[in-house]
Amino acid sequence: MNQKELKELIEFLIDKDISEFELERGDVKVRIKRGADQQVAPIIQHIPVSNHPAPAAHPGPVAVSSTPLPAHPPATPAPPAAEEGLHIVKSPIVGTFYESPSPGSPPFVKAGDTIETGQVLCIIEAMKLMNEIESDISGELVKRLVNNSQPVEYGQPLFAIRPR
Amino acid sequence: MEQELLVPELLAPLVRNTIFSGHIHHYLQVESTNLLAKAAALGASEAASEGEVFIAEEQTAGRGRGSHQWYSEREAGIYCSVVLRPQIKAADILWLSLIAAVALQDAMKEVTGLSPDIRWPNDLLINDKKFCGILTEVHTESDRVHHAIVGIGINVNHRALPADLESTATSLHLETGKEWSRLQLTASLLKALDREYRALLRAVNSPVPSSTARFESILKRVEARSSYARGKHVHVDENGGFSGITDGLDTRGFLRVRTEQGLRMAISGSVRPLARRTDAAGD
Repeated sequence: MNQKELKELIEFLIDKDISEFELERGDVKVRIKRGADQQVAPIIQHIPVSNHPAPAAHPGPVAVSSTPLPAHPPATPAPPAAEEGLHIVKSPIVGTFYESPSPGSPPFVKAGDTIETGQVLCIIEAMKLMNEIESDISGELVKRLVNNSQPVEYGQPLFAIRPR
Repeated sequence: MEQELLVPELLAPLVRNTIFSGHIHHYLQVESTNLLAKAAALGASEAASEGEVFIAEEQTAGRGRGSHQWYSEREAGIYCSVVLRPQIKAADILWLSLIAAVALQDAMKEVTGLSPDIRWPNDLLINDKKFCGILTEVHTESDRVHHAIVGIGINVNHRALPADLESTATSLHLETGKEWSRLQLTASLLKALDREYRALLRAVNSPVPSSTARFESILKRVEARSSYARGKHVHVDENGGFSGITDGLDTRGFLRVRTEQGLRMAISGSVRPLARRTDAAGD
């Protein structure tokens, strides 16, 4: 991934109001986490094909501060960051996000709902395999972070839940 | 030919030594075998439901992908769902979709001598028409698989199909003019599924550190058995839709498609053939 692609990725994440993002493709791993001040701190590391963890001293964070970031805040406010106590449910697979069991039926959950541990939150589909994603925590659903039928990456945040 | 019902008394002896032999449930009519399997998997503690099989002679609401229905005429087809409880990561479960297709193709070949095509990820076709479909439903807790249900529908002895399916679907009888033993087909399918599932678990648990190397044999087999894997001009109904020429599977099993805008992956969409264009870029 070059600087231009990285910049496009960051702009996309800001545009879509995604606070945390991880991508693993070949031997490149990208992890981006946006803090409460809307700044972006990308980390790219080249991981060995053998899947052994990369040494911590490897290339290190790539500064992209030279790239001016859009000054305007996203249209919808970013979910409060982890330090404000929200639990983020992430996608365990690559696929397409569905908010309901079948087209036209009501969504599994919506903002404001009380969520129990083990409750189904959504379906991620890949290769005609419908993957029901359970909540691993009880609490109040604060926000859905992706749109219905949107493609999602491995580890992409799906829901923010305020633990009970 | 008088068709036997797919009862455990007849089927179990044919699938001895598989994970399915002691767990066959037979019904004359159900809403959907996937729903029965799901209830069993959610109700069972730990791995108690591994290998349970739910077979119906007729489904009143057989399900396909999205809002699609699976036409399930009484005693004409095979409507079967199995429960699996693999102790694996959610990211590894996608392989199940591909190995199910390979198992289904093996079983159809073994019994009928035909060589059905695989349309990525797991439709089976004869003469470009679909006669087998697979719908896999998985439940994950955090990053682990709780259970997986593989639902399989096979059009076997249907003499006719509803008008809206005629142009895209078929049955073994419609293509061969023969009546086929559903019992033999089901037994062969469960044996092949058992074999492929065990091979998948070996691959997942292999000490080989590279996941590419662990799953390479699955990729190669799917590519070798599917005309859709390479050089096929297709449309993918996903993420706005795109068209191009297929170019093998990537290391995760997704279908690579070379489009005029560059390489794209089919991840969850339906793949449909397009008439080959003579001016197609890069073709």
